[in-house]
Amino acid sequence: MAEDKAAVLKGLRENVIDGDPDEVRRLAQACANLGVDPMEAINEGLIPGIMEVGERFERKEYFLPELVMAADAMKKGMAVLEAAITAAGGKREAVATVVLGTVKGDIHDIGKSIVGALLSAHGFDVIDLGVDVPADKFIPTAEKAGAQIIAMSSLLPTTMPYMQHVIDELTKRGLRDKIKVMVGGAPVTPAYAKQIGADGYGDDAIAAVRVARQLLGM
Amino acid sequence: MPRRGYRGGMLKFIREDDLDQIRFAVIELLAEVGVRMEYRPALELLADHGAEVDWDNSVVKINEGLLNRALLTAPNRFTLYGKSPEYDVKVDLERVYTIGGSCALSVLDLDGRRRPAVRQDLVDLTRLLEEMPNLDIMHQIVVPSDVPELGYELVNFATCYSISKRNYYSQAQSAESVRDQIKMAAIFQGSEEEVRRRPTFTEVVCMVSPLKHEKQNSEVLMEAAKHGIPVYIEVDALCGATTPAPIAGTLIESGANVLAGVVLAQLINPGTPCIYSIASGILDMANGQYSGAAPETTLIHAGTAQVAHIFGLPYQGGTGIDAKLPDAQAGYERALQVLTNILAGTNFVHLSYGMMEQMLLASYEQVLIDEEIIAAAYRIARGFEVNDYTLSLDLIRRVGPLGGHFLSQKETREFYRKDRWLPNLSNRDPWDAWQAAGGKDMRQYANERARAILAQDKPWAVSREQADEIERICQEGVARSQKRKEQME
Repeated sequence: MAEDKAAVLKGLRENVIDGDPDEVRRLAQACANLGVDPMEAINEGLIPGIMEVGERFERKEYFLPELVMAADAMKKGMAVLEAAITAAGGKREAVATVVLGTVKGDIHDIGKSIVGALLSAHGFDVIDLGVDVPADKFIPTAEKAGAQIIAMSSLLPTTMPYMQHVIDELTKRGLRDKIKVMVGGAPVTPAYAKQIGADGYGDDAIAAVRVARQLLGM
Repeated sequence: MPRRGYRGGMLKFIREDDLDQIRFAVIELLAEVGVRMEYRPALELLADHGAEVDWDNSVVKINEGLLNRALLTAPNRFTLYGKSPEYDVKVDLERVYTIGGSCALSVLDLDGRRRPAVRQDLVDLTRLLEEMPNLDIMHQIVVPSDVPELGYELVNFATCYSISKRNYYSQAQSAESVRDQIKMAAIFQGSEEEVRRRPTFTEVVCMVSPLKHEKQNSEVLMEAAKHGIPVYIEVDALCGATTPAPIAGTLIESGANVLAGVVLAQLINPGTPCIYSIASGILDMANGQYSGAAPETTLIHAGTAQVAHIFGLPYQGGTGIDAKLPDAQAGYERALQVLTNILAGTNFVHLSYGMMEQMLLASYEQVLIDEEIIAAAYRIARGFEVNDYTLSLDLIRRVGPLGGHFLSQKETREFYRKDRWLPNLSNRDPWDAWQAAGGKDMRQYANERARAILAQDKPWAVSREQADEIERICQEGVARSQKRKEQME
């Protein structure tokens, strides 16, 4: 049994690294029969896998397709294992809740979606509001969900100022202290992020995960 | 596995009917104007085979029949051998390969100094070139200032041949030099017989425009052909000075000049591989300099590919660039020149690494930058495929129009790794990430990479004992050349 357990944990890790969602799901489902604690499967199987993928991405050995496929595989495994935890009467605390979207006037989806996939893969609850998202959607959603972070993306220089608008609205509504704001997108720079009063900036999806953790003091 | 270059030749500047005009004009020049050959045995051989010789002026006129017989025996497919099979180059009329730099007198070193080249530069630059994945044929990138003028090519041979596993592009000042080079190659290959069977080096002979083969050219050409050593028969025209200013006129002069050499080589030894070669350029009318990077020079080189191919011969074109530093000028000059040559089907893109300042200067950094440019140009030449798989109709159907994407599809991951070219020295990051990584320009990356390569202690292509023996034969040859010079004085 111990050997089986070790093999499953290794399999989860390696199949996240290989980005194979079907195999990750199969192994996650096998945990119940083998008596592998789902929390252990997450912490010692899936998470080391996604960490390794992130490192390979930063070393330029892995590129976006590998990154996104690994995140997909991770998500499939998490869904199975979290259901198992819930069924056993437990609850896996999400790292934090992030409300994510591309700002109003901007319909660029892909970069924001990659950030969402990576945040999910790292244990965040991600509420992806999609594209062309107004302040009146970002803020109430975050409030209702008790989100710790709003993450905004903008790919057009003309829509960048809208990120400032959302931050100003947060301040007006007295929520600025409760919710951290992180921003990203091709034309966005750390200097711009600072100028509009955002709390964090990441220049790719791996950086976004790092920044989100930093904002939460992790 | 031997090296197989990418297929070029999709870019044509000369229409089919215009190509006929060029071919007829070349044939007419050879038959009616002829070529001056200063080497009497060459004239005698051609006369024996029906060429018309004006003995007073040493001019030979070559009729179409004689030309056609030579073109029948000159191969359009052959192998240039490396020191191991993975360095063999399979030559035909479509594949494209590269040759390193040639005969610069100065170097731009890694400290940014321009100074006369010395033998250590030849060693270091050859070691650097040897690590360039897209280099196919090694040449002597510099002529060192600290070796004797007579027999310098033996020193260069001993140096480059001992370091590089690639087929070596050599040159010779005499028939005896060719024989010395065969002796040196035999140290590695085991016997002179083996060198003749699978020559690991070639000779280039550089004819003079207009229409002149100097004594040394024919002597070396005939000696190389006698041993079956492949020859690059090269014309270095100066368009507007030694050939007519119009490109078409330059093409026909080079054609007649090169083909006279092909006929001679085939008479000596039918089947000797002959590569139709140019290193021509326009004369810059403002400063009187050769310009390798002028767009008109590139047109000459691209156009000549078509001319060489109608005569059924593999073709060497390409030349150095004019910039003095690895700067923006160097980048655009090299990129336009290399890409055009590759697309035009220049089978050997010559002088494609490190050659600057009208071929006078070899830059360490530019060697690496040129590798990057060549790699990117090859990627363009490789084009893209259209078939059921690449059309991806089923994949697009699966993802659909409801806001999905393709990044997480396994087909994307499978395909991009094979298809995408990954740059080595080019930075595609946004400003902040680039700044965070040191904010370096391409020249700085090239400098660091060159230093890293030179710091490696890679073994040479031949053993230490073989290198010593090759050097001994080289020094004997140099001493003999010196002695002969002293006797003549």
